[in-house]
Amino acid sequence: MESKRVETVSARVDAAAAVSSTDSVEDELELSAVRHRPEGLEQLEAQTRFSRKELQILYRGFKNECPSGVVNEDTFKDIYAQFFPQGDASTYAHFLFNAFDTDHNGSVSFEDFVMGLSILLRGTVQEKLIWAFNLYDINKDGYITKEEMLDIMKAIYDMMGKCTYPVLKEETPRQHVEVFFQKMDKNKDGVVTIDEFIDCCQNDENIMRSMHLFENVL
Amino acid sequence: MAAGVAAWLPFARAAAIGWMPVASTPMPIPPQDKRKAQDGLIILNVSGTKFQTWRTTLERYPDTLLGSTERDFFFHEETNEYFFDRDPDIFRHILNFYRTGKLHYPRQECISAYDEELAFFGIIPEIIGDCCYEEYKDRRRENAERLQDDEEMDMSNDVTPVNLTFREYLWRAFENPHTSTLALVFYYVTGFFIAISVMANVVETVPCGTLPNRSKEVSCGDRYALAFFCLDTACVMIFTVEYLLRLIAAPSRCKFMKSVMSVIDVVAIMPYYIGLVMTDNDQVSGAFVTLRVFRVFRIFKFSRHSAGLRILGYTLKSCASELGFLLFSLTMAIIIFATVMFYAEKGSSATKFTSIPAAFWYTIVTMTTLGYGDMVPKTIVGKVFGSICSLSGVLVIALPVPVIVSNFSRIYHQSQRAEKRRAQRASKEAGQALVVKAATPPFESQHHHLLHCLEKTTNHEFVDEQTFQANCMEVSVVNKAGSRSSSLSSSPHGLGSCCSRRHKKKSSFSPPSTNNQELSTIQIRERPVSNSRASLNAKLDETVPLKCDESYITPSMVSLSAPVVTSADEDASTTTAYSQSNIVRVSAL
Repeated sequence: MESKRVETVSARVDAAAAVSSTDSVEDELELSAVRHRPEGLEQLEAQTRFSRKELQILYRGFKNECPSGVVNEDTFKDIYAQFFPQGDASTYAHFLFNAFDTDHNGSVSFEDFVMGLSILLRGTVQEKLIWAFNLYDINKDGYITKEEMLDIMKAIYDMMGKCTYPVLKEETPRQHVEVFFQKMDKNKDGVVTIDEFIDCCQNDENIMRSMHLFENVL
Repeated sequence: MAAGVAAWLPFARAAAIGWMPVASTPMPIPPQDKRKAQDGLIILNVSGTKFQTWRTTLERYPDTLLGSTERDFFFHEETNEYFFDRDPDIFRHILNFYRTGKLHYPRQECISAYDEELAFFGIIPEIIGDCCYEEYKDRRRENAERLQDDEEMDMSNDVTPVNLTFREYLWRAFENPHTSTLALVFYYVTGFFIAISVMANVVETVPCGTLPNRSKEVSCGDRYALAFFCLDTACVMIFTVEYLLRLIAAPSRCKFMKSVMSVIDVVAIMPYYIGLVMTDNDQVSGAFVTLRVFRVFRIFKFSRHSAGLRILGYTLKSCASELGFLLFSLTMAIIIFATVMFYAEKGSSATKFTSIPAAFWYTIVTMTTLGYGDMVPKTIVGKVFGSICSLSGVLVIALPVPVIVSNFSRIYHQSQRAEKRRAQRASKEAGQALVVKAATPPFESQHHHLLHCLEKTTNHEFVDEQTFQANCMEVSVVNKAGSRSSSLSSSPHGLGSCCSRRHKKKSSFSPPSTNNQELSTIQIRERPVSNSRASLNAKLDETVPLKCDESYITPSMVSLSAPVVTSADEDASTTTAYSQSNIVRVSAL
């Protein structure tokens, strides 16, 4: 009797799992129905370098835009696109999303969001450079290839849009990538490793200065 | 930009660190956040009901009372709160607007009270959200109509304004008979004469007994010919005078003459005059008699006196297609059944169904279930088909009629709603242009700084559509003549609101060491080819795709902050990032 009940229950669970995994629309509904609650304020305070008040302000803004507590990629792209009305920010937003979504589960929770921001705004220069390297390394294999860099560069130039001065041309991103590789790729092996990247950036005054640009954003 | 997204600006700025390693030029200085917004709670006491919200929430809309310093006038020192002596129920909606960015209209509130509150707090009604906008506009329109009706009633009791010309006065008297007693008298007199005329037309055909020296019965018209003629003359005179007066008073005579009512007037009085002209000509007296039929059209003159007739006429006009379908299907059925009956009755003797057209009459009478009985089938086949005809007649007529009725009601309501929505959309779009922008000033400057960082990363600048087109044009012009001009100045005007402030800020940022001369005159200059971008420009001359189609030359002012320096591989970084900026800005004025 009991085994039968267990069987039916397990069958029902399997059926539910099967249904939920196949239909992507249902996945979306599930995501929106999920009410994600972030970890406690103390824990986040310990894990990030934000003060309590700053975390409160961040969370209020986050929750206002995403009442369900998580951001999925489409919402992320929409939000980011609003800051760049003249161009197409969706590709770059995609890369950004992957950089923020550290556990690669397809959604950015408040913890992911705040951890990323903590590095970007309050981290050491080393941490920021590692974060930037992570952003450029699309497949996360530890090397930035020319193709990856080209993708990133095209995404950045896409954000500029069509109406620019001087007029954007097809090979501008490629040229920019060439310049970047000439600077960064010390041993000329066609890829940039993290050490080459960090070394080169630390030797460049402009880059060093710009790393401190957004420190008092919050 | 939505107020909520403004909260994500810190994130977007932080993420800009991703551009830094690939940037080719140094980044601009971030704007100083002078006004560190204290994020405290504000207590709003509205007639005793306490509302609380964050200070930053209210400051999202700096053009309203609560978002600006105007609220300081209502600050109550003793209780350390802001006191408003207004309606707390409506205030709830106003505060929700600050919180969510959407203004809702509560259905149970009075529209004028709501409007007053909105006006007090400095909020434009046009930003009411789509969910409540239609309701709001409907109520507002009803209210306006009510006010207008009240005004009109008052106006009708007032003394008529003296400054109307006689012609306008006359037209007004004709169109609104209740405005003056004279018009009212005229209105009733013409109505009376229309009735008299129609009744006379009817009565003069009634047989009135015999004349003493005749055996035949004569109609009243022939017996009292003179009386009827005098009556007719009097009526026609009145109608003619009325028509001429209307013609004189009409503001647009052509339009008046083409209108339906004037055509009816003409048709009503024409037979009399034609009858006067051609009196004793026997040949045309037949035609003359026919013309008298047109006198019955005088009855349509009543439609000026009755609004219901006008509405009926309009609805028939609007249901024309449905009526046409009914007629068509009936015609089809009539032809089919007439043919069948004709061939069915062909065999029988002394049949009335002499031809198919003759059988039409039978079919119509049977299908509409009249059944006069002047034509009846005698054969069995004929009777069978006759019964089928009458049954199907009921169906054929009964089916389209409800469709017509429902179509009529649908069309009627639809036209009402379409009118409403059309009027609403026009005014709504006009209002959206004035919509309050929910961006705080520090947000704007930070956003512009972010965009400027992107420009620096890619070494390209944002320009707007017009200047982009102008660039395309000028490149093709400059292809030949690459002259360089000394520093001129620009005042960008044609840029969108997002970037206009940015450029204004840029020009304020440029340090006094660079020689930026302000030119007040508008000059057409060939675009200078800058030094540092020589490599880029060399390619530009060859391969720039001309995306713009229109060929116009806009007068433009160009700014070039001297000295012209190379940008990319500049090592000697001067004091500010801006002085190195090799900004060539083209703007169309």
